[in-house]
Amino acid sequence: MAKALAFPSVAWFDAVRAVFNSDERYRGAGGGRCDCVVGLKIGEAVFVLAFEGVECVSAVAADDAALVDVDFFLAMSAEDWREMITNIAENDGADLHHTLNTLDLARDEGLAASRHGDQFREDLFFRYNQTLQFFFDASARVKTAVDNGKLVKL
Amino acid sequence: MATVENGTEQFDLGWMRRTGPWNTRAPRGKHGLTLADVAVGAYGEAPDESDNQTGRPRGAVARPGSYRIGGYAVRSKSEIWLDNASFLYEEALQRQWSSATDVPWHTIEPLPDDVEQAECQLATFLTEVEFVAGDVPARWVSLTTPDFLEPRQVLLAQVMDEARHMDVFRKRALANGGGLMQATGATSGFVGGIDLSRDFTEMSSRLHVSGEGAVLTLFRMGELMAQNEAEKVIYRLCAQDEARHVAFGIMHLRYMASAAPERREEIHCYLDEAEAGIIGAANPVGQLTPTSESMAIILGGGKANFDDGMNKVIAIRRRQLGEYKKRVISAGFGERFENGRSGVDRMIDHAA
Repeated sequence: MAKALAFPSVAWFDAVRAVFNSDERYRGAGGGRCDCVVGLKIGEAVFVLAFEGVECVSAVAADDAALVDVDFFLAMSAEDWREMITNIAENDGADLHHTLNTLDLARDEGLAASRHGDQFREDLFFRYNQTLQFFFDASARVKTAVDNGKLVKL
Repeated sequence: MATVENGTEQFDLGWMRRTGPWNTRAPRGKHGLTLADVAVGAYGEAPDESDNQTGRPRGAVARPGSYRIGGYAVRSKSEIWLDNASFLYEEALQRQWSSATDVPWHTIEPLPDDVEQAECQLATFLTEVEFVAGDVPARWVSLTTPDFLEPRQVLLAQVMDEARHMDVFRKRALANGGGLMQATGATSGFVGGIDLSRDFTEMSSRLHVSGEGAVLTLFRMGELMAQNEAEKVIYRLCAQDEARHVAFGIMHLRYMASAAPERREEIHCYLDEAEAGIIGAANPVGQLTPTSESMAIILGGGKANFDDGMNKVIAIRRRQLGEYKKRVISAGFGERFENGRSGVDRMIDHAA
């Protein structure tokens, strides 16, 4: 039985990448070529995902300074991230209230942002939104433990 | 053409000697063989000025005596060029979707009458404006020399995108017990005026940067408002397409700003007009229009919560204006926000 991987961690993102990269369904239906570098600010933790072609080619832990260079970053409290990941796990994909775009518009401070302020690069969040949603929805197939040790997906 | 000499059929194989640059082996990249990969040597060289009026593919050998077929008005590179057209085209090809099979239509269920009417009003409006969004680039494709094939290809892909948007909102209106509502008339105002543009850049600044930028916000809002997974998918995928069209406009303006600086004032005038349109009825997130009222009803969850819904519309309208401003800055025309020419900051302050 697979060991539960802690969210957030590079190992967890690598497991999600493996699911995402190997499932051809994510390459159609509005998914497909996606070239961007995405920062994730999960509470105080920072990760950087690189998408190239039809794959997520890397996930690394980083520090706050890395957010200057990414095309855009998604920032929420650790609690809100856990809620989103748990919701995805429980519903085999985000429900109507937990999609990335919904979280972005429903929050006063938004979800997607950048340090460079270039809207052309920030717009990549919109241009590749389905791919990003596919990526996080793929996490439903990864046995996950949130960082307080609670298992969210068996 | 075969001829017969002394009873023997002879072939004229002269065409075999009339080639463009030969021994061309375009290298295949890791994303397949893309349009950028085949832009090699002379095949990749778009002229600053094109005299190609015959439909000759760029790099092909001219055919003596060819008659003019195109009447191409756009023959100056700076009028239509952008640096990432090949990339956008491949992205458009690879991120296509089907309104028939990629939308989970089975998730649509009956809604309260007022919400269904609001959904159908929005769908009517979107079907209406997407006609313009398809017709206009299609017309400019036909006016552009084949030497500028990369931007032409992006525009052709856009026409396909807009065709899909037209049909998917028509399908939504007819899928759940409602139907089309009264046409909003948006196409007779700012939106329809886009087709009166006399110049490609005038059209692009109106259509891609301001018009589609505004509709992009509407699509994103649609995803937020969605009552079921089908609507989520519809609006999310339409927003992706729209963001690609917006990217075309920004990159074209960037190119214009550097390649034809003498046209900066002219472009500012186009942006003046576009910003005047942002506050009008053509803006779906604007004030007191059937569409903004529809969105308020959907966001509020019904007529009874109209005020709550309208407050959300206003908040998103502010974000829409802020994104427009940042796109114009990204395109290289940010001085209008520093010198008082643009009224967008005032619109943001007074959005209501």
